[in-house]
Amino acid sequence: MEKFTLEIIQDALVAAGDEMFQTLQRTSMSPIIYESLDYAVGITDSKGELLAQGNGVTAFLAALDSVVRATLEKFSGENALEEGDVVIANTPYAGGGTHLSDVSVIFPVFYKDELVAFTVNKAHWTELGGTFPGSVSTVATEIYQEGLHFPFIKVRAKGKINEAIVDLIKSNVRLPDSTLGDLYAGIAAAEVGAQRVISIIEKYSLDTFIKAKEDFLDYGERMCIEALKKIPNGVYKGTTEIEDNGFGEGPFPIKAKITVTDKEFVADFNGSHPQVKGATNLAFSGLVTGCRSLFKAVTTPRMDANGGAFRPMKVICEPGTIVSAEAPSAVSVYYEVLITAIDLIWKILAPMIPDKLPAGHLRSVCATFISGIHQDTGQFYIQAEPLAGGWGASSTHDGNRGQLSCGSGESYNIPIEIREMRYGIQVEQYAFHNEGGGYGEFQGGNGQYVDYKIVSDGAHVTAAFLGEKTKTWGMKGGHDGSYNYFMIIRKDGTKERHSLGTNITLKKGDMVRCVTATGGGYGDPKKRSKEQVMLDVKNGYITKKEAKEFYTI
Amino acid sequence: MRVATDIGGTFTDLVCLEFDQESGKPTGVKVAKSDTTTSNFEQGILDTIEKGKVDLKEIEFFAHGTTVVINALTERKGAKTALITTKGFRDVLEIARCNRPDLFNFNFVKQPPFVPRFLRFEVEERMNYKGEVIKELNMATLKAILKTCKEENVEAIAVCLLHAYKNPEHEVELVKELHKLDSSIEIITSHQVTREWREYERTSSTVLSGYVLPIAKKYLNQLKEKLKNQGLKDTPYIMQSNGGITTLNDVKNNPITMVESGPASGVFGAIALGKVIGKKNLIVLDIGGTTAKCALVENGQVKITTNYKIEHSRTEAGYPIQTPVIDIVEIGNGGGSIAWIDEGGKMHVGPKSAGAQPGPAAYGRGGKNLTTTDANIITGRIHPDYFLGGELQPDYPSIDNASKNLCEKLNASKEDIAKGILRIANSNMVNALKLISVNKGYDPRDFTMVVIGGGGSMHGADLARELQVSKLIVPPHAGVFSAFGMLMSDIRRDFIRTNVITLEPEQRTTIQSTFAEMEGEAIKNFKSDGYTDDDIKFTYYTDLRYAGQEHYVKVLLSNFDDTTPLESIIRHFHKEHKKHYSFELNTTVELVNFHLVAEVVVDKPDFPKLEKTGKKVEDAHFDTREVDFDDLGIQQTAFYHRNLLEPKMQIKGPAVIAEKATTTLVTPLHIVCVDEYGNLILTLQKA
Repeated sequence: MEKFTLEIIQDALVAAGDEMFQTLQRTSMSPIIYESLDYAVGITDSKGELLAQGNGVTAFLAALDSVVRATLEKFSGENALEEGDVVIANTPYAGGGTHLSDVSVIFPVFYKDELVAFTVNKAHWTELGGTFPGSVSTVATEIYQEGLHFPFIKVRAKGKINEAIVDLIKSNVRLPDSTLGDLYAGIAAAEVGAQRVISIIEKYSLDTFIKAKEDFLDYGERMCIEALKKIPNGVYKGTTEIEDNGFGEGPFPIKAKITVTDKEFVADFNGSHPQVKGATNLAFSGLVTGCRSLFKAVTTPRMDANGGAFRPMKVICEPGTIVSAEAPSAVSVYYEVLITAIDLIWKILAPMIPDKLPAGHLRSVCATFISGIHQDTGQFYIQAEPLAGGWGASSTHDGNRGQLSCGSGESYNIPIEIREMRYGIQVEQYAFHNEGGGYGEFQGGNGQYVDYKIVSDGAHVTAAFLGEKTKTWGMKGGHDGSYNYFMIIRKDGTKERHSLGTNITLKKGDMVRCVTATGGGYGDPKKRSKEQVMLDVKNGYITKKEAKEFYTI
Repeated sequence: MRVATDIGGTFTDLVCLEFDQESGKPTGVKVAKSDTTTSNFEQGILDTIEKGKVDLKEIEFFAHGTTVVINALTERKGAKTALITTKGFRDVLEIARCNRPDLFNFNFVKQPPFVPRFLRFEVEERMNYKGEVIKELNMATLKAILKTCKEENVEAIAVCLLHAYKNPEHEVELVKELHKLDSSIEIITSHQVTREWREYERTSSTVLSGYVLPIAKKYLNQLKEKLKNQGLKDTPYIMQSNGGITTLNDVKNNPITMVESGPASGVFGAIALGKVIGKKNLIVLDIGGTTAKCALVENGQVKITTNYKIEHSRTEAGYPIQTPVIDIVEIGNGGGSIAWIDEGGKMHVGPKSAGAQPGPAAYGRGGKNLTTTDANIITGRIHPDYFLGGELQPDYPSIDNASKNLCEKLNASKEDIAKGILRIANSNMVNALKLISVNKGYDPRDFTMVVIGGGGSMHGADLARELQVSKLIVPPHAGVFSAFGMLMSDIRRDFIRTNVITLEPEQRTTIQSTFAEMEGEAIKNFKSDGYTDDDIKFTYYTDLRYAGQEHYVKVLLSNFDDTTPLESIIRHFHKEHKKHYSFELNTTVELVNFHLVAEVVVDKPDFPKLEKTGKKVEDAHFDTREVDFDDLGIQQTAFYHRNLLEPKMQIKGPAVIAEKATTTLVTPLHIVCVDEYGNLILTLQKA
C-alpha cells in the first residue's frame, strides 16, 4: 500500500507547485509576470533535485534546480543557510541564469532544524535599471549596461528583510514599486510552497517524504527512457544562424550535433560562433534550459516535470560561444538566441517525429518594450510583452494562428482595453496579415499585424525581431512561411523597417507596426482539397491570387 | 405545493414540497427521477411530473434548472452566429489570449473560434479607454453585412465594440439600426452580457450568448406553453449560475446566465440548510458520476466570479464567459472514474469516466475498466441489495476481470488495488477541497462539510477526516439536492462594472454615483417584471487590488451607505489580501469592478421535518458484514436502512447507512446522529 502513499505525496507536491504559481501571478506588479506569465516556480529536494515545477513559459526548465545548486555551492559549511533566509540571484552565467531581468527567489525549507527542501521561483521583473527602460538593450556590449546584478545574496536573513538591499533596489530602478512588489510576491509564493512541503512532511514523516521523492525521480527517468525509445537512433546535424547582433554585423552560425540512443540524448553545440559584441548572446545555463524544453517536448510533454526526466539528456559546448557566453558579455536579448537554438534541434528532429514536431513557427519572442509618459496620468510607463504569430503546419493539422513562440507557453497577450488605459498607446489594428507563405497540404498559421499608435511625445521603443531575413521553414514539400520585423511608420508616412532596435525615439502620432511571421507549411500544396482552399480564400487567410499561384485553383 | 425540476446530464430530477393548507407547514416531500431527454428536454420534465404524480394546477411556485445552454455549447448545437466589431479587430476572437496551456506539446491544436472569419464583420467607430468617441460610428455597411448574413443563414448576431464596457452608446445605436433593417435575426450586444473590460473575454461571452440565444428562447417558450397547458398558473422561475432564480422573461434576454445552474443550486440549497441548523461556514461537496464539484461558503455567502470558462483544462485554453457564476472547483473524479496505469507504472484515477454506458465493471454492461464505484464494492462499502438503487446485483465476475490487468501490472491483490483507487480518488478530491479552502487562507477545521450528489456521502467521512473537519452533514434526498436548492433560492441579479479608480477621498462621489447608476439599472430591470423598489434588497461588493497588480480580491461592503468611511473599506481589503496571499503592502489601493447584487426575497418553505414515530435503531438494522476501512482495518459493520431512521437516533461507526440514491459510510472514528430534519450528522471522534 505504500506505493499509493508515495503517489499521493507526489501529487501533493505538484499541487503545491500550482499554488505557488497562482500566488505569484495574483500578487505580482509586473504585467509581464501576471499577464505574460514569464516565470516559473518549483520545489527541489535539499540538494537541488527538481521535484515539481509550475511554468508559465517553457524556457525556465533548467533554471530552478540549477539555481538551487549554485546557491548551495555559495552557502556551505560555516556559511550554510539558516531557517528564515531568502536568497535572490540573477547571474546569467551560472545556476540556470538567463538575463538580469529574470530574478530567482530561493527559499530554504527547514523541518525540525534540518534543511529538507527548497521552494524557488524565477520571474521576469519589468524593471531592473540599466541604460534603457525595461533593462533590455540590443546595443549593450557589457552586462553592466543591463541593470542590477544580484550575485546570490541574502535579501532576508533569519526572517529579517535586509533593508539595505531594499533601499539599493529602490534607488536603482525606474519603477521601484513594481520591482519591489515583484520581490515580495516572489517571497510570498515561496513561503506558501514551503508551508505545504512542511505539512506534507508532518503528515507522512520525513522518511516517507524522502522515499516518495526518490521514487518520483526514478519514475520521471523511466517515463523519459520509454519515450526516448520511440525516436529513431542516430547522429543528426544541422546549422542555423543569428542574423544580426544589433550592430549590423552577422550572420553568426550556431551548429548542433544530436546523438540519440535508447538511453541517451546528447546535444553538442561545439563549433558555434564565438560570443559576439551586443546582447544576442546566450550563456551555457540558458542553453541547457532551452535544450531541456525541446527534449521534454519530444519525450514526456504531458508529465509533470521533475529532475529524473532530464537524467538521460546531456548538453555539450565549449565555453565562450554565442550559445555559451561568458562574463562580462551582454545577454539581455538571450531569449532570441535561445529560441534559435531550440528551433535548430526542432528542425533537425522534425522529419523523424512529425507527430511531435510541426514545421517551423515564428521563432522569435518578438518582444517590444515601449516606454514613455502617459498622456493623462503623467506617469512613466513601460509596456513589455511578447507577441503572437503563426505556427507551422503538421502532418495532421494547419498551423495555429495567434500563438506565442515556443519559448512562451501559458503566457497571455495584454488586452487592448487594459493596455490603452495603462500605457500611452492606441492600438489601430490587431489582425492576421497576408504577407504570404506557408502553403502546403496543411497550411502554416497566419502571422499578424499589431499597430501601436503613440499618443504622447517622447516615447521610445526597443525590440528584437529575429527572422527579418530568414523565413520560417516548411516541411515535407510545404512552403516556407514569412518574416518577423517591425516598422516605424512616422506621422508623415515615412517607413523604417527593423529587426533589432534600441530606444528609437517616437513622437505623438507615430506608429509602430509589429509584424510576426506566418508559419511553415506541411506537405505538397497540390494535395490540399479544393473546398479547403476556397474556404481559406473566403476567410481571407489566403488571397485569390495565392490560391491560383500556389494551389492552382 | 412548490416544485423544482432540474435537468442534469444523465437524469432529470423533481422535488415537490407539499403543505398543510391551514398552517402552511410542510407536510411531505415527493421526489421523482427520470432519464434526461436530450433531443427534447421539456419531455423529461413532463415525465418526472407524471412519475411524481404532481398536479400542476395545485402548484404555487415552479422553479426550473436546465442544461439546455451548456449542452448547446458543448455539443455545438447552437445557432449559426456572426460577429460585428470595431474596425481592425475582427481577429480578436480567433487570436484569443495566445496561450498554449499544453506547454511542452509543440504539436498543440488551438480550439477554433465559434464564429468563422468570414462571418466576423467590422464597422468604423472607436472609443478611447475613457469611453470618449474618437471616431464616429459609421453604419453605412450594415445593409451589406445583413445581406451576407441572410445568404449564409445566420441566426444570431453578436455585437461587441472596443471599450463598450465603459460606454455602450455605439452598441446601442448599432443594434437599433440593425433591428430597423431586419427584425428576423436575433441580436445580442456585449453590454447586455457584461460590463467588464478585456475585449477578448467580452467578445467571447457575447458570441457564446448569441450562439445559444435562439435555442434557449425556443426552449423557454415551449416550456412555458407546455406547463401552462397542463394547468400551471404562473410562469416558472429559472435557475441561474449565480445561485439565484429569475423570471423567465428576464433570462430570455440573456440566457447565458443559465450556463452553470445545476451546481449553483446545490450550493445554495446547502446554504439554506445551514441557515436552518445554524451553520454558516460550509464546505459543500457534490460528487456525481463523472466529476466532483466543491465550493466554500463563508458566513452564509459564496463568492461569485466572472472568470468562468467552458472546455478549459490543464491542456486547453477554453472559452471564457464573463457571466456571474458561483466560485466552484470541479475535477474529473466521480463514481465512474476509471483507474489506469501509465507507462512509468503509476496508477491514476480519472478524469476519464465509464459514464452510465457501459458504466463501472459492476454494472455488468461490458465495462472493462475498474472504477471508483467498483473499488467501493470490493471494499464492501456498498451493500449488494442497494447497488444502483437496488435495481440489480453487482456483477462480481466482471469486477474480477476488470481488476486482473491492474493486479498484474502492480503485482498487488484486488483488495489492495481497490484501496489504492480510493486513496488516489480521495487524494484528488482533497486537493480540490484544499484549492477552495487552505489555498485561499481558510482553515477547513472552521467549517462544516455538506456532501451531496450520488457519491458525496460515500467519500465524505474519509475526506472530512483527512481535512480534520469535525462535522459532516448528509442531508435527506442528497441525490436530488440541486433541485431541492432551487426551492430555497431568491430572485437574484448581479450587476458588475469595470471602472478603475484609486480609493482616495475625492473618488467618494464616483463610488456613490456608480453604485446609484447601477441601482437605477437594477430597479428598471426588476420593474419590467412587476417588482417595486421596496421589494429589492441591495448588497455591495468591490473588486480591489494594490495599484499595479492585475488580480483583485472581492470585498463585501457590509452596511454600505453614504457615510461608510473609505478607510474601513481599505482596512478590510488589507485584511483580505493578507488572508489570501500572506502579505499586505503600504501602497495605493485601486477599485477595479463595482459589483451590485439585487435580490428579491421569495417566500420560502420551512425545511420539512422528519416525523418521530418511536422506532428503534435496531428496526433499521438489516445486515452485518465485513467492510474494509483501509488504515482503520477490516471491520464487522452494521448496515442500516436510512428510511427507517428517525430523529435523535445515534449510531456509532463503523456503520453503513443505505438508501436508494446513495450510501453513507460511517468510519470507526465517526458517530452519526439523525437530527429533526432527517439530516445525518457525522461527528469525528478525537482519536
